[in-house]
Parts: sequence; C-alpha cells; structure tokens
Amino acid sequence: MDSHIRSWFSRRKWILVAVGLPLLIGAWWAFRPEKLWINQKVNEPAPFASSTDPQPLYTGRLEGKAHQTSGRATIYKTAHGKEYLRLTDFSTSNGPDVHVLLARSDDENLKQEIVKGQVDSVELGLLRGNQGDQNYDLPASVDLQKYDAAVIYCERFHAVFGIARLEQF
Amino acid sequence: MMLRDVKSKTMLALAALVFAFGMQVLANAQDGKAKTLETGTFHGKVHSTSGRATIYQEEKGNLVLRLTNFKTSNGPDVHVILIAVKDADDDANFLKSGVERVELGSLKGNEGDQNYAIPNGTDLSKFQTVSIYCERFNANFGAAPLEKF
Repeated sequence: MDSHIRSWFSRRKWILVAVGLPLLIGAWWAFRPEKLWINQKVNEPAPFASSTDPQPLYTGRLEGKAHQTSGRATIYKTAHGKEYLRLTDFSTSNGPDVHVLLARSDDENLKQEIVKGQVDSVELGLLRGNQGDQNYDLPASVDLQKYDAAVIYCERFHAVFGIARLEQF
Repeated sequence: MMLRDVKSKTMLALAALVFAFGMQVLANAQDGKAKTLETGTFHGKVHSTSGRATIYQEEKGNLVLRLTNFKTSNGPDVHVILIAVKDADDDANFLKSGVERVELGSLKGNEGDQNYAIPNGTDLSKFQTVSIYCERFNANFGAAPLEKF
C-alpha cells in the first residue's frame, strides 16, 4: 500500500517534470527575463564622414507665444570650436527692437507672453529678419547646459514672440 | 627645338589643369555631405526610452535613420519601424488598428548610436514616427515623432 502510493507519486513527479520543463523553457524563450539585466551596447559611426562640417549640438522647434512663430533653432559647433545659433524654416511676425536670446527653459518669467521680471539670458543680437534662415554667433563659453532655450524677444514691449527648448542633438 | 619646348609646356599646363580639375571632382565626391532631413526625440512608452532619432539623406540619395544618445530596455524580438501616424502613445494594441508601417530591422542594441537603412521610396511625409516595437508582445517601447530639421 505504502509502496503503491510512493510509486504513484514518483510517476506523477515525472509527468510534472515532463510537462513543466517545456513550459518553463517556453516561458523563458518568450520573455527572456535575463535581458532585464543584460544590456546590448552598440556604437556605430555616423553614416558619413564630415568631421570638418559644423556639428549640431542642440536643436529644438520654435513655438509661438505672443506672436505666431515657427521654425527650428539649432546650435552648431564649427571645426574651430566656434558656436553659433542657426534658425531654419523660420517665421515670426515683424516688430520693433526684436532680439534673439538664449535663456533658461525653466525660467518662470518666460512662461507668460509678456515678461514681468528679469530674464536671465545671453544676448545674441537683433533679429535680422522675421523670415528665413539666419545665424547668430554665440559668445565664447556660454553654458549651454544652463541656457537651454532660444527666445525671440521684443525688448520694447517685453514680449516673448517665440521660444525653442533646445535638446541634445 | 623652340617649337617642341612650347609644345611640351602647353602639354604640361594642360596636364596640370586636368589634374586640378580631377582633384576638384574627387574632393566634391569625398565631401560626402549627408543632408539632415528630420529629427525628433524619443519618449518612453511601455519601457522608458530616450534619445534622438534623425533621418539623413546620403549623397547617393538613400535614406538612413540614426539613433543617438539612445537608450531603451533590452527585450525579445525588438524591431525599429516607421509608422504612418503623427505620434504613438502607450496603447499596447497600437498597431492592431491597421496602422501602416515600414520595417527597418531588428534593434541592434538597446544602448548606443546606431544606423538603419530606410527602403528606397519610403514616403517620409506619411511615415512620421519612429517606434521601437516589440513584435512578440505588440508593445511600443518608445516612439519619436519626427519633425523637419
């Protein structure tokens, strides 16, 4: 009687193993849980060699605030180490005393259309045209981690025409 | 004697000209200027995913998708696809509603810079979003809506 039960148990055990093991392997194959810990790193070069061309460092889309503004703002670095901001597909409304600034994207003053306080910014110069591609030289040693937004700003009325949050290219 | 001298000088000048022209052509060919067409950043969906996706057009005209500063979670059967939507959200069934897609291949690595060839004739005005897509579970790991560079 005792041995009968034991043999039944061992048979049951083998069935469990025979069914369970493939199930486990199947589950492992489907989920590959070890991949949660194992990374697969790659580092392919850019599909072209253009080390002498200016390299884009940061880029972002302009969004309109007080006036409709659109286009892209990109910060490039030349082979000589000079940095400049380039506006492309750019369009904003014309206005008096409009400047291009670098500012901090988390600046509370820039959240409104009309700035009330003091904006912590780097001046890049007067806006050359309200439409078209244009470049603005950056002063040497601007902290681009800190000043991570390009702003089209009307000094006279403290109006933010448009702002682009710059993200790493 | 004089005539031969002039002739050889002319020949020399011509050879120099041809050489200079040849170098110019070669320099232009080696310039290898790839145009940046579109770019966008990833936002993580089912798994946290970050980095930038950029589409370049090489001089030969072929399109290349490049992922930079890229990071996602590793997983089984993960693919890079272009989908015909403006953006993709955290809908686990996001491809079941018959969204058109272009397959770019298996994800080469879950971290690091990597390039994928885009099939010729892909209409980028239609396929506006890159998705890191787990084929097996129909899950969108992350998506990058592309905008004109």
